[in-house]
Amino acid sequence: MKRSMGVAAWMALVAVIGAVPLLTDDRYLLKVLVFVGINVIIVSGLALLFGYAGQISLGHAAFVGIGAYASAYVTSGLGLPWLVGVLAGTTLAAIGGLLLAMPSLRLRGHYLAMATLGFNEIMYVIFREARAVTGGNDGLSGIPFPEVLGVRMDTPASIYLLVWGTALVVVFLVANIVRGRPGRAMRGLHGSEIGALACGVDVARLKIRTFAVSAGLAGLAGTLYAHAVGFVAPSTFSLEQSVVLLAIVVVGGTGSLAGPVIASIALTLLPYADALIPGLGKDVIAFLQDWEADIYGIAMIVVVVLAPKGIGGLIRAARSRSRAEETG
Amino acid sequence: MTSDSILAVERLSAGYGRVAVLRDVSVDLAAGEMVALIGANGAGKTTLLRSLAGLLKPSGGRVWLEGADVTGMAPERLVRQGMALVPEGRMLFGPMTVTENLLLGAHSRPRRDESVRTDMDRVSALFPVLVERSSQPAATLSGGEQQMLAVGRALMSSPRVLLLDEPSLGLAPKVIADIFRVLKSLRSEGLSILLVEQDARLALRHADRGYVMRTGEIALAGTGAQLLENDDVRHIYLGARHDSRG
Repeated sequence: MKRSMGVAAWMALVAVIGAVPLLTDDRYLLKVLVFVGINVIIVSGLALLFGYAGQISLGHAAFVGIGAYASAYVTSGLGLPWLVGVLAGTTLAAIGGLLLAMPSLRLRGHYLAMATLGFNEIMYVIFREARAVTGGNDGLSGIPFPEVLGVRMDTPASIYLLVWGTALVVVFLVANIVRGRPGRAMRGLHGSEIGALACGVDVARLKIRTFAVSAGLAGLAGTLYAHAVGFVAPSTFSLEQSVVLLAIVVVGGTGSLAGPVIASIALTLLPYADALIPGLGKDVIAFLQDWEADIYGIAMIVVVVLAPKGIGGLIRAARSRSRAEETG
Repeated sequence: MTSDSILAVERLSAGYGRVAVLRDVSVDLAAGEMVALIGANGAGKTTLLRSLAGLLKPSGGRVWLEGADVTGMAPERLVRQGMALVPEGRMLFGPMTVTENLLLGAHSRPRRDESVRTDMDRVSALFPVLVERSSQPAATLSGGEQQMLAVGRALMSSPRVLLLDEPSLGLAPKVIADIFRVLKSLRSEGLSILLVEQDARLALRHADRGYVMRTGEIALAGTGAQLLENDDVRHIYLGARHDSRG
């Protein structure tokens, strides 16, 4: 049985996340942690779609891009407030997910992978070519810092807190979805689509909704990215990034939220290991960054071969072992 | 169609793409009746059940459930109207626990429906082994237990019509007997059961009535006893020979 994470565990998580900017003012480390938080948001949404509902997406980087460009354009192009940009980016990405899900309803497995892959490629070309809005290959710069109620978040610590605060809320909401009725229906759909239909699950609606929520979360992460970095360019939203995101969910384990969250923290930190370990040699970092894709690839192969249920599966196994020791 | 039938199928046609499988099939089912559909592989038995459960849109004809026209209705609405399917191959949710499988069976019912708990108890009483296995993943159950879970899951939607596709497939005789005992007790409680079976003898022995399907049409209809005595049925579906009657 799945046990919900206790109140104490959530409080501890809030405390740890909140304590980081008090313990360090290292700008580089905080920036790296902002990227980690952004990936946690995207991966939570993708874990919902792929890990729970079993619907593959090789187009999630494109949803991140939709959020990032929309928010950048709304704020720096149209001069509207930051919050409007965030809402616009998130909504547009969710609508994108909806529009992609509808024609893809009849597709599953490899065919859904191809359709979403095609979507990522189409969006990538649009990001590059729709220069009036996206700035083409040069990208968009001068995106304003987030600003809520007149408070400008222009320090690494404030952006860190904004991103991780959002990530915490997202993980909490996704945890509630997967624990409740919708999560049960998603896992049912993953287990057997015919079975889910026979149980009276409105499979089409469930797929479309899950796609929209998942894409919306990717879009939300994209808006945070745009305002945290201040600059967006097409290469950030390429198919390669979608593959990396999916790899993180696989390493984290399907049917798990904690696993993919842990995997997204670990795998995003990896190429920036020097931020955590100050003494680390430059050549080690250069190696990690040059071989990043290979390291992800190897991690994925190791997981598929040795622990097909990923980090989440290992957590579940450890839990049932400790329960067995308690009772036995 | 007769006025007292809970399910009435009127000249139903259906198929896959341009391939027609069912042609003008008419079947009816009275309240508290168990009816068997028998026939060779490819006769259209499963296609008929799939069309009735809404998994396949019929290309012609009408389906009436308790007097309401439900032709072409989506599966999730049909489940809410009281039609439940135990699909071919069971289609359980393998990694999910037995309890979760049963709860998902009640997915069509309101969130805080107290009677879900009552039905859970009822299914537990019908299949006590499922209680022992409640926190085990469905995939780890034996074939017989899985079939019981599949029936239990369908019952969790509180149906009035139960469609069963090949409940005996791959099971030991003792398990089959257990399952049919449960089906008969459900029938005596007023549930109507439409059953597709490969094992024609088994099905006709237990059912009130039967239909014989051949190449997408109803070839014969009658009571279980009549069909068991019918020479064509005996030779084609029961494997009897002229010299070995009885």
